[in-house]
Parts: sequence; structure tokens; C-alpha cells
Amino acid sequence: MTASILDGIVLGFQFGLLAAGLTLVYGLGGVLHLAYGQMAVISAMVVLFTLDAGVPVVPAVGIGLIAGGLLGLILDLTILRPVYRLQGEARVLLSLLLTLGVAFVVDGFLNWRYPLVGLSLHVGGGPVELLGVPMRRGSLVASGVTLASFLMLFGFLRGTALGRAVRSVIEDEEGARLVGIDPRRMLRIILVMSGVLAAIVAVTRSMVAPVTVTAGFSITVFALIVTVVGGLGSVSGALLAGIILGVVNSIAASYIGTFLSLIILLAAAALTIVLRPAGLLGVRE
Amino acid sequence: MTGRFSKATGTSVIGGAEQHPSRSMRTVFLLVALVGALLALVPLWLGSSRVMMGVAVLGLAFACYVIAFNLIFGSTGQLFLCVGALAGIGGYGGAILADTVGVPVAVAIALATVGASLTGGLLSWIAVRRSLGVIFTGIVTLIFSLTFENLLLGLGTLTGGESGFLISAGAGTFIRGQIPPYYLMLAMVLSFVIVHGLLRRSHFGWAFRALRDDEVAAELAGVDVARYRVYAAMIGAAMLGLAGATYAFAEGRISPTTFGFAQLDVTVIVMLAFGGIGTLFGPVLGAATFTFLDEVLIDFGRLRLVAYGTLIIALFLWMPRGVIPTVGDLFRRRRNRRQPGSSRGHSTSGPADDPPPLASTEP
Amino acid sequence: MLDVRGLSAGYQGNDVVHDVSIHVDDGEAVMIIGSNGAGKTTLFRAMCGLLASSAGEVSFQGNDLTGMATHQLVRLGLGFVPAERHLFPRMTVKEHLALGAYPGRPDSDTMNVVLDVFPRLAERRSQRAGTMSGGEQQMLAMARALMARPRLLVLDEPTTGLAPKLAHEAYEALDAMRREGLTILVAEQQVPLAMAFSDRGYVLEDGVISIEGTSEALAADPRVRGAYLGIA
Repeated sequence: MTASILDGIVLGFQFGLLAAGLTLVYGLGGVLHLAYGQMAVISAMVVLFTLDAGVPVVPAVGIGLIAGGLLGLILDLTILRPVYRLQGEARVLLSLLLTLGVAFVVDGFLNWRYPLVGLSLHVGGGPVELLGVPMRRGSLVASGVTLASFLMLFGFLRGTALGRAVRSVIEDEEGARLVGIDPRRMLRIILVMSGVLAAIVAVTRSMVAPVTVTAGFSITVFALIVTVVGGLGSVSGALLAGIILGVVNSIAASYIGTFLSLIILLAAAALTIVLRPAGLLGVRE
Repeated sequence: MTGRFSKATGTSVIGGAEQHPSRSMRTVFLLVALVGALLALVPLWLGSSRVMMGVAVLGLAFACYVIAFNLIFGSTGQLFLCVGALAGIGGYGGAILADTVGVPVAVAIALATVGASLTGGLLSWIAVRRSLGVIFTGIVTLIFSLTFENLLLGLGTLTGGESGFLISAGAGTFIRGQIPPYYLMLAMVLSFVIVHGLLRRSHFGWAFRALRDDEVAAELAGVDVARYRVYAAMIGAAMLGLAGATYAFAEGRISPTTFGFAQLDVTVIVMLAFGGIGTLFGPVLGAATFTFLDEVLIDFGRLRLVAYGTLIIALFLWMPRGVIPTVGDLFRRRRNRRQPGSSRGHSTSGPADDPPPLASTEP
Repeated sequence: MLDVRGLSAGYQGNDVVHDVSIHVDDGEAVMIIGSNGAGKTTLFRAMCGLLASSAGEVSFQGNDLTGMATHQLVRLGLGFVPAERHLFPRMTVKEHLALGAYPGRPDSDTMNVVLDVFPRLAERRSQRAGTMSGGEQQMLAMARALMARPRLLVLDEPTTGLAPKLAHEAYEALDAMRREGLTILVAEQQVPLAMAFSDRGYVLEDGVISIEGTSEALAADPRVRGAYLGIA
């Protein structure tokens, strides 16, 4: 049981960081980014190809992160232009459809060109014991990196002027405008950040299990579930929901079965929407 | 200088307000007869190939799905991303009832249709009771879809799991034939179009238009928004269940991919967007076009997804209202140009250009 | 300083305010009065870039502002305090003030001045805006706008929902800033307060400016007295 819980927490951190990117994009820009999983996958592929080219691990990962950020920027400069001309529900709908289209294009292309390809980062060394459970080093390093990323994200949002500006747009976009903040520019920054976060998750996940070209849509679905439960626009909500759902998923998977554990996660998201749409710690409805 | 922050409701993103029923029912019947006659000729062309007839039947099934989705989303703005699941309730429900429980095929189809209809109504009722907006309705129904798919995969003994199962009920009868199912589905498509047309002209149609244009005003005018939303969902879901069940028996085998989200919902949305949301024949056009396109591209495997994705992007960027309305606009504009001084306003966008709502929202 | 000419704006193609022309000179306090629905908020939103105008021009210190986005206007030296306040519920007073100064660093001198004018806020530096009372929120909205050291402060109905004592305090604060050299344009429904405070005023009725003049002239005008001051 302890093993399941610990595995769940490791998974939970990943869920959380994944959701953090998505929730920031939605909370700030009112944009639903359904190509998120594909962004993670592309970053993983970039790391893979860079490694194959002989580049050492750390720089390769760095390049992967930069690639993630660049993808966010490209998305902002292209697809999101027409989206930003709309407001409210229309904006969410159009962003949903256009990013879905992008997701298909990327997914289809990658699976056609590089089928069965996946990124796996091996972290050397034997298992480390934690609370009587042998944990793979890969899991521990992944969790460490993810936690560190979360800390940096929190530090940015709470401690810097730019981070404050980002939060203000999430709290009240008009209010932010009235203080001289350009929401469009903030969205661009957040999209780049979400790309980097997606890349971090992809890379750390690959330390635990292979990240394959087919993973795109399931990554997006998981991110969406955790985002909804945590509350749209709340990074701390994403972390909390991530951990809870990660543990639930892990326990359910070992005692009940993978299909049903996924159903439990889906049900959790559905219940949250129906009973408490703001999520655990959310802001926007 | 037009409003930089023009508010637009959900459906206007994809297509404008539903066309006002400028056509009389007689025109609708005529068009139905025309389209029906055209489509009835297809077996003359493809009838010798069981595979091609199968594709044609699938195309007609899709036309039914799209008409249903058009009714649910186009008429009342409920983003039901569970088209596949509802059709699946029809398909799997009917198949299991007939094969495992032993109910006669026709009864199985009827029961499955009712089951789908009630499910659709329930989802709509939940969305209405909890005032879920378009997006949350979409997410909840998406979750329902994924849950349904996973249930199909998980409850293997009942559903055959990932590989599905062969339906023995109905084998040897006309429903499993090479040509008859085509005409059966064609009749279904045409009757669905007629039902849609009738609904539009009825007080349902009036209520739908009112609640889509301005929900608050509609409530104030006495339209029970909740009830009409649920009605629309139930009728649409019934269509989905019926089509799904019939298709299942026509094919003779089903698996989770027959009614999966990726295979059905996404395709249906693209077909509808292409044909024209809110139109009567847009769904048929969309289904026909994409069934044809899919066949042409069948050898390209995964690349088809790329084509679909590009089409979605192109459609929603440049022709968000679909082919039929856009073409209609072109004709109207050309006609207006020939008559100087004519002042038809209505061409392009949706609610943003409509007359102001009854209840003013100005602070 | 501020010159509005022929401004028309509205929603969904229908104008709510028509052909409005007002001007505010350096150091003045100008009011726009009118009853509910007259269009004050629409005018405010059009002037601060949250609503696109359908006609007319706005210029500020010689710069043409038409079509500019709100955040650009703020950078030019305009400060806005909207009727709905638009505060950030989960952020503290201190964070609001820091944001007010965005993109610059929050200057401690300015912060001290602002907190002097609003002592209640000084007591609540770490309190979240969402937990504050209406009056405190109104003060915060004003303080936030002041952190950017604007040259012109535009307010929309700053006393809505405030108890009379707090409304007076708000205007006292505005007066204090006025004496520091701030130019103020305020749209107000509580006419006596605004009149006591302003030099000049405009009366907005059904979206058009019907009367304009100095505060004394308006106070003496029988139309104004009857409709807005409750004097027969």
C-alpha cells in the first residue's frame, strides 16, 4: 500500500505540473489548449533526437525545454491570433477547435513519420529506500525536478513583478488592463512557460516510463482532468489535485484495474464540474 | 470602427444563427425528395461491392449522427461531445439486448433508442440544473464519452472488450443484406431531415431560436429554456441511438472504435462545420463529402489525421459557418449587387449583428 | 489636457452615448453628472479603452488616444477607477499597490503618500481585497490608480454603495490629491458631493451632454436643481 501511495505521489507531482501549465493558460487567457499533450511529445522527441545526435543528457534536456517554450510562442503567434479577437465562451470554443486541429496535425504526422518511437531517460544507480519501499532513482529524480519546478513557479508568481502581473490578469483581466498591464503580452509569456512546463513533465516522465509518440492525447486528457478538479486558474489547486488524483489513480490501478481507475479519475472530474465548478481552489467559473 | 470587444455567443463561432425558416415545408419535402432520389442511385454505382456498400451505409449513418448533433448543438447550443457514446448506447445496447438477452431485433433497436434518448436527456438536465456553460457541458460530455469507452473496454465479458463482438441476431435477414440496409438508412436520414424541418417550423423552433439568441430574454418572454434544451437533447439522442443501433445490426459487428470519440465525435463536428451548422442539408453534404474524402485518403493511414486537422483549422478560420451558408451568402451578395439600393442586411455574422435583445444589458 | 470631441459609443451596434464633447484643463476637477442609465459608465468605458467608440476623438496632452488599448492609456499618464472597481480578490493591499505602479518598481515615496491619504489601507496592508468592505475596496481602487502617479484621474461613480461618511472621506481624499496638483474627472450620481468638489461640470442625459458650466452656474440652474438636487 505504501508503495502505491508513494508511486501515486510521484505521479501526482507530474500531474500537477502538467495541469499547472494548462490551468495558467486557461485562467489567464480564457483559452483551452488541447494541443498540450502534443507539445510535450514534441519536446520529448526533440530531446530524443538531440541525444541520438550525440549531445550529452543535460544540454539535450535544455534544448528540449527551449523547444517547448518555442512551441508555445509559435502557437501564440499563429493559431491564437484569431482566438484573441473573441471574448468569453466564443474564445474558449474557437481555441478548443483550433488547438484540436493542431493536435490532430501534429499527432497524425508524428505517428506516421515516427511510429513506435519513444523517449526514455535512464537514471543510473540502484533503487533508494524511502519509508521501507525501494524507489527507483528515476522516480526520485523526476519528483525532485518536478518539485523544484513548482517552487520556481510559485516563486515567480508570488515574488516577482511580472508574476504578480500574471496573477492579476487571472484575477480580473479588466482590472489588470486598468493598471497598465497588457493581457495579450501576459498570455504570450504564459504560453511559453506552459510549453516549458510540458517539456519538463515529458522529460521527467521519461525517467519513470517511456514517453511515446502516441501519448499526446492521453497527456492532454490527464492534464484536463487535473486542471478541472484543481480549479481553473489556480496553480496550487493543480498541485493539490494532482497529488490527490495521482494517489487515487495509483491505488485504484493496483487494486482494481487500469480501465476502472481511469473511470474513477474521469468521474472525479465530472463530479467536480457538477458539484463545485470552481474546483478545489479555483478562481474563474 | 466596430466594437473591438464584440461579444459573441458560442454557436456563432462555428456558424451563424440558425437560418430562419424561409422555406415552406413544401420546399423542404421537395428538396428531400430530390436528395433522396439522387442518393437512391448510389447502389447502382457501388452495389456490386460489399465493402463499398458498407462504406456508403456508414456514410448515411454519419449523416444521421450529424443531423442529431446539429439539432442538439445548432439549435440549443449544447456542446454534446458524446455523440459517439450516445450512438454507442444504441449500438451496444441493441446488440446486447438482441444477442445476450434474446429480444427481437426491432424491439432491441427500439429499447436502445429509448435508452440513448433518456441518457441524452439526463445529461442535458444536469447541465441545465447546474447552469453549466458551453465549455463545461462539453467537458462533462467528453468525460462521459471517455468513461463509456473505458466501460466498453473494461466490461469485457459483456461487451467483448477491445475486439468487440459479432452480432448474431438479425443475420440472414434484410438488415444484414448488401443493399437493403442502405435504403433503410437512407430512409432514416431523410426522415431525420424532415423531423428537423418540422421542428424548426413548430413552436420548438421558435423556442430554440429565442433561447440561442438571448437566453435571459427568452426566459423573460416565457420560454422555459431548461425544458427545450432537454427536449432537444432527448430528440437528438434518440436519433443517435436509433442510427447507432440500426448501423450495428447492418454491419453485424461492433467494437469500441465503431463509436469512439476520435472516430465519431470529431468527424461529426467537422462534417457539420463543413456543411453548415443550423442548416437542414448541411449535415448530409458534410457526411457525403467526408465519407468520400475518407475513402480517397484511406491508403494514407495516419496522415488522414493530418488532413482532418488541417481541415478543422481551415474551416474554423475561414468558413466558420460552413459551405451551405457561405455559398448562400455569395449568391445573395451577387443578387444584391445587381439591384442598387436594396438594403438586405443579414448576410454574415451571427448574434452580434442581430437586433438588440429584448432585455437590455446595458449598465 | 483632456479633449473629447464628438464621442459616440455603445454596445452591439447601438450607441448609448452620442456626440459627447468635454474637456478637462490642467489642475481642474470636472464632474459628469446624470441619473442611472444616462450613459456615464458607457462614456467612462469608452474613454478608458475598454469599449471601442463608434465615432469621435479623444486626445490627451496633445496625443491622439483613439483606438488605443487601456494599458497604453495608463502608460501615458491616465488613471482609471471604474464603478465595478475591478480589484484582485485574492491579492493583498500591498500587492495591489505594487501592481498599481506596474511596470515600474513600487516607489516607496509614492506608497507612503498614498497610504497617508488612505490610512485605513495602511492598517490592512496584508489583507486580501476580497475580504474587505465596500468602502475599503473603493479606497483601494483609488489608491491603486494613484500608485502610477497619473496626471489625470478618471473615476466612475466612486461612491456607489458607500455609507455617507465613507463617501465624504473618499471625496476628502480626492480633494487632498487635487491640492497636490492632480487633475480629476469624475462621473457621479451623488450630485451634491460632486458639486462641492468640482470646478466645472457636464450633465449627461440619455447619452448626450445637455448642460455644461461651472459648478456655481449648475447649482443655480433650475433644471439641475429640479432634476438632480431635489429642489423644486
